[in-house]
Amino acid sequence: MEILDKLLNVALLVATLRTTAPILLVALGGSFTTKAGIFNIGLEGQMLVGAFFAVLGSIWSGSALIGVACGVVAALVFALAFAVLVVSFRANEVVVGLALNILAGGMTISLMKAIFGTRGSIVGQKIVGLPKVQIPGARDLLGSWAPLVSGYTPMVYVAFVAVPFLVLFYKRTRLGLYIRVVGEKPEAAEALGISITRVRYTASLLCGLLAGLAGAHLSLGYITMFTENMSSGRGFMAVAILIFSAGDPLKVLAGCLLFGFADAFSLRLQTFGFPSYLILAVPYLVALVALFALSYRSRPRIIRETLESMKKMLSVETKPAETGNNLPR
Amino acid sequence: MSDTSPAKRQETTSPAENAVELIDITKRFGAFVANERVNLRVKRGEIHAIIGENGAGKTTLMNILFGLLQPDEGRIVLNGRETIVTDPATAIDAGLGMVHQHFKLVPSLSVADNVFLGMEIRRNGLIDQAAQIEKTRELSERFGLKVEPQERVSLLSVGIEQRIEILKVLARGARTIILDEPTAVLTPQESRELFQTLRGFVADGMTVIFISHHLEEVMEVSDTVTVLRHGKHVATRPTAELTKDDLVRMMVGRNVSFDRRRRTKTAGEVVLDVKNLWARDERRLPALRDASFTVRAGEIVGIAGVAGNGQTELAEVLAGLRPASHGSAMLKGRDLTALTPAAIRDAGFAHVPGDRMVRGVDGSASISSNLLMGRQFKAPWSRNGVLDWDGVAKQAVEMIKRFDIRARGPEDTVKRLSGGNIQKVVLAREFTNDADFLLIDQPTRGVDIGAQESIHDEIMRQRAAGRAVLVISVQLDELLTLADRILVMFNGRIMGEVEGDSADSERIGMMMAGLNASAASEVAA
Repeated sequence: MEILDKLLNVALLVATLRTTAPILLVALGGSFTTKAGIFNIGLEGQMLVGAFFAVLGSIWSGSALIGVACGVVAALVFALAFAVLVVSFRANEVVVGLALNILAGGMTISLMKAIFGTRGSIVGQKIVGLPKVQIPGARDLLGSWAPLVSGYTPMVYVAFVAVPFLVLFYKRTRLGLYIRVVGEKPEAAEALGISITRVRYTASLLCGLLAGLAGAHLSLGYITMFTENMSSGRGFMAVAILIFSAGDPLKVLAGCLLFGFADAFSLRLQTFGFPSYLILAVPYLVALVALFALSYRSRPRIIRETLESMKKMLSVETKPAETGNNLPR
Repeated sequence: MSDTSPAKRQETTSPAENAVELIDITKRFGAFVANERVNLRVKRGEIHAIIGENGAGKTTLMNILFGLLQPDEGRIVLNGRETIVTDPATAIDAGLGMVHQHFKLVPSLSVADNVFLGMEIRRNGLIDQAAQIEKTRELSERFGLKVEPQERVSLLSVGIEQRIEILKVLARGARTIILDEPTAVLTPQESRELFQTLRGFVADGMTVIFISHHLEEVMEVSDTVTVLRHGKHVATRPTAELTKDDLVRMMVGRNVSFDRRRRTKTAGEVVLDVKNLWARDERRLPALRDASFTVRAGEIVGIAGVAGNGQTELAEVLAGLRPASHGSAMLKGRDLTALTPAAIRDAGFAHVPGDRMVRGVDGSASISSNLLMGRQFKAPWSRNGVLDWDGVAKQAVEMIKRFDIRARGPEDTVKRLSGGNIQKVVLAREFTNDADFLLIDQPTRGVDIGAQESIHDEIMRQRAAGRAVLVISVQLDELLTLADRILVMFNGRIMGEVEGDSADSERIGMMMAGLNASAASEVAA
């Protein structure tokens, strides 16, 4: 019992919300493209350049806010490049996304070398991080539960508040509706004079905006530093969540909370002396299991047909042996 | 003109007698002339049917009228005013509305959302769903098109989807409505309801243009008929002055008969011998139950039945696309149920599948590639394991000619062709394989009359050449025309067999409804 008490407490919940925020932001960004019918595997790269340029902007200007703006602009540039190639030139989404991810990784490393002369990471006093937001009165009202709602950096609030807004956005706004229509039935959009190109560009850029915020949160949120490949797969986790949530904001939230919890829980386990390399794999294992469990039923047709034909071949071979007892009467 | 009230008359924007006039419209696609100096005059307040075979240029003409295509020559006059219809928006502004053959609804949205998509009612920047639902209900009641505005489209039947498409057009203020083969997807009851709605429209002073190749319904519902053939205007006449035979003659350009084909008895040895065959459907329930029959060389056996009574499963088991759970199907001594589809074809089996776009052709490939499929390792298509593309093209040109496939050439993409011509591509490939056994599932589904006749001719030719033919069709007329014997399926079972020469459709109908052969004869007698 004692161990459980140590494991599961308010601090764990708080840590869950904190680790959920960046994945949630980038996944919500990806929900725009997913709903618009674009498979956006470039989230990782957009997040990474967001993180890098947020640090850069923060150092140069001395303002966290300007840092965030720089991060967002950088992510938007990546999102625009993605949209130009995928929407206008109809290049393969996966190839373009991967290429931009690789570009983001390499570019941040070489820029780091060129500007700061270091490899590995940028740390320093000159990086101005985002302030923590203390909600007035929280401590009086909630006592020891106050850290649940108060004291996060701003992006955490942005991420969670964005969820209901997105629900409303897809249901009740014209742009949200058009994004859904373009993703679900492009020929219907075309027939009604809705420009598929414009809607997809808009969705890509909205995605870049949130991915940039997510990146800025990584490098200016709880830790104020940039390290190589700092997004460390969060963008891909977001892609995984998007695949089984189909971009639905509430399902995205659920998926992100699951990963956030796994992440926070694994950090917690580390303090109990489990080997850290095993523990760091926990969130990814959760991702694998969740993906498998949730997408098993909606496997693409081609996989189901392949399985069926394999079964058929097998059953043809074994047929003579079993004809006697499988009369379907 | 109709007996509309003065108030209604004032609503119409112009006093011109013709709602739509197309004058000397010509449209070419490369060397192919889809419309050649076509004239169409549609009077206000009438139901005007446009008929013609597949590829006669009906849809092209309507796409030009609606601004989806630009004519190479000719003029368009809408409500007495000459108009250049650059895009659908212009056409909609001029009071035109088009209900396409393939619906363009968004399944996850509600009926009301779909009706107002692209012209949402908004309040404070948000979509006002209550107002949209209210307006949809109003329209639905005013025009007698019953829908439930809040329901999600994915849950609705095709007939209701069509109503929503019509409501979409009405919500945009259309006074002239174009329907492209509206009944192709409807049940007879739904068609009847649709016709009633259309009559309501014209009583209201509106105009309906109706594309079809279904003669009965043209006779039933239209006031005036325009016939197109090979892209040219043949005639425009009041329907009342015409008979069905006149229409067929004008459409096809000659007399077409769908009487029973004359034949000499040629049945030879047994080619296909099916014994106690069982199979399950996707839900693992028995869908084919204990089917036993034979097909002889030089004989056409028909399988009749309402769709979904095990015919599909039977065809798939024979073609090796579905495992049999019990029984055998011997093709000249080899058991098809133990072979792969490729081995089945090699054993002398040709298959014209029921769903040609899924299993019959690769829509995005060329005609010549589609004609090649399945024999790419054989001469004269390939030599020493290398494809001979010149040979392939030569074969393709020959088959296009022999089977009268209307296309721009062997490199034309298959999905651009009309349904009848795609079917001919499948037939051309399957009938030139020298297979002993032909399985033809729905030979003329979605195929126009002229092409139907030529497909029937081709099937009879195969019979005369000593092939064993199994024809599955939901159109009883077709089986009465072709088959030497007709087997009737119900609920996965073969209910009985009728000789083609003495077949009477009433008795077959009884068996299709589930009465067994002896009971059916008693009732019929």
